[in-house]
Amino acid sequence: MTAPRPGRRGLVRPYVITEGRAHPTRDTFDLVTLVIATGAEPGALSPEKDRVLRLCRGGALSVAEVAGHLGIPVSVTKVLLGDLADDGLILTRSPVPSARPTEPRILQEVLDGLRARL
Amino acid sequence: MTRDTLQAWLWCLAAVALVVVVLLVRERLAVVRLRRRITELEGLARDRDEALRDLAEVRLPALLDGGPAAAANVPVPPSLVGSGYALSLAAVIRSFTTSVETTRARADRTARNALKASMRALQGLANEQQLSISAMQDRHDDPAVLQDLLEIDHTNAQFGRRAQAIAVLCGSWPGRQRAASTLLDVVRGATSRIRDYRRVEAHSQVGSGVISRAVEPVVLAVAELLDNAARHSQPNTTVQVGIQPAHNGAAIVIDDAGVGLLDQEVRRAGELLSGHRQVEIADLGDPPQFGFAVIGALAARYGFRVSVDTQSPYGGVRAVLFLPGELLTRVDEEPAPAQSATPVRSAARPAPAAPAPAPAADAAPAVTPPTALATTANGLPRRRRRQLGAHAAPVAAAPAAPAQESAGRSPEQAAAMIGAFARGTRSGRAAGEPAPAARPEPAAPPAPAAEPPADEETLTVRRPPAAGTPSAGSRPDHEGNPAT
Repeated sequence: MTAPRPGRRGLVRPYVITEGRAHPTRDTFDLVTLVIATGAEPGALSPEKDRVLRLCRGGALSVAEVAGHLGIPVSVTKVLLGDLADDGLILTRSPVPSARPTEPRILQEVLDGLRARL
Repeated sequence: MTRDTLQAWLWCLAAVALVVVVLLVRERLAVVRLRRRITELEGLARDRDEALRDLAEVRLPALLDGGPAAAANVPVPPSLVGSGYALSLAAVIRSFTTSVETTRARADRTARNALKASMRALQGLANEQQLSISAMQDRHDDPAVLQDLLEIDHTNAQFGRRAQAIAVLCGSWPGRQRAASTLLDVVRGATSRIRDYRRVEAHSQVGSGVISRAVEPVVLAVAELLDNAARHSQPNTTVQVGIQPAHNGAAIVIDDAGVGLLDQEVRRAGELLSGHRQVEIADLGDPPQFGFAVIGALAARYGFRVSVDTQSPYGGVRAVLFLPGELLTRVDEEPAPAQSATPVRSAARPAPAAPAPAPAADAAPAVTPPTALATTANGLPRRRRRQLGAHAAPVAAAPAAPAQESAGRSPEQAAAMIGAFARGTRSGRAAGEPAPAARPEPAAPPAPAAEPPADEETLTVRRPPAAGTPSAGSRPDHEGNPAT
């Protein structure tokens, strides 16, 4: 991951962004965890949290994408997301596992059954 | 006969006696005159000794210690006024002063150059180290590792600041070209470089930012002020930073709840902060106090003002850094996608007039060449000019925007979308794979080797996918998921 904003990124260091914390308040974040803004009205937020909320307002974003947009490490993003989730500002969802391909035989049987009923 | 002879003898005797008396009297007078003269000369010699001793024991040492002002007026004893001796003394003092000044200047210059060179070397190392720390922060997902990295990063930032401050004081440029940043980011950037960063609370009422050229110097000056504030106040107090609009500019106000400054210290600080006087390294005390001198040098060079002569409402010092309007600019950091996208587009490439709603796949390669040029050998993005143009031109370029608006998705927008997609994928892969083998990225991804940095670049400025239509393109598969 190359830094998106070369200038701005190095300016505010991650420990200032997280106030020195490295451990997220919850351990539920994965790279592909989806986050979405709840729409609750936030109080005063740091610029990064503010941006996360704005990003997530348009729809769900994965943790990796949020980190990419903010140009900060994923692990730092997780700390921010943990805070936001604690404040009830975002919801998280695990990605929906892709469905296991159903056997054609069962589908065929269902189809047959439906046809028989109609 | 005998009588005559006797008489004659008597006359002779009388005449001799007279002569003797006359001679005696003359002698006496001469002795008195000589004695007076001797006394006079003794006094003169004493005065000269006195003046010489004064010169050797008082005046020249004072000259050595306190500079030429100490010996500027030369009081000579009244007996010596106007004499050649006094003139020679003055000449000695003059040439001594000159030689002291020359030596001092040469020593200061040598010290400055030596310090500057070594500090710049250290600064370079600190910057390099920061890059590798940043890379490690990206790479490691374990909070325990991150915690350590944050601490190293913090120490490194302070280390870099110290080296940078001394280098600046020795006449070096602050280095580190940065993009124009909001005032709040500037203050937080400064906060990043001090020991007690957790005690700083910053509030901003100003949306504007600092122009690219002035970001680093202002960050450095604010960092020195914050460091002073935090260092001279109790560890359990906070340092309040307010960013306020002001007439023809903006002010960064730093309040601490510390011990404050004495009148004399305020005066000295004011002198140093004005930056009018070239500060000699030797004047900074032992251990040297660089802070105010560095700020003064930066303020004079970049045209902002700093004062520390007010008392903070919390009891300590209130430091005010005033940035004139010339150093401020508008920073389009936050989304407002339509607004931020159009000026940049028209500023960056006025001609293209995007002929048709080009499909994204076609548009992307069109963007790649100019940005690919702007990457360094290591693949690090280096696209300063364009952002500068974006900030400098928005007003003038605005009218051109609507014309292009109707042309549908511009190449940049398309590139930004693809960039977002590519970056998401890449970051996912990079962080997902435990083996750092994924790192040597310039060679690893076969096709888009040159492309990704370019995409991110275009993405950084106008970042449209935050909301609205482009987002649908950038993350098509996530969009539907929460609904299901």
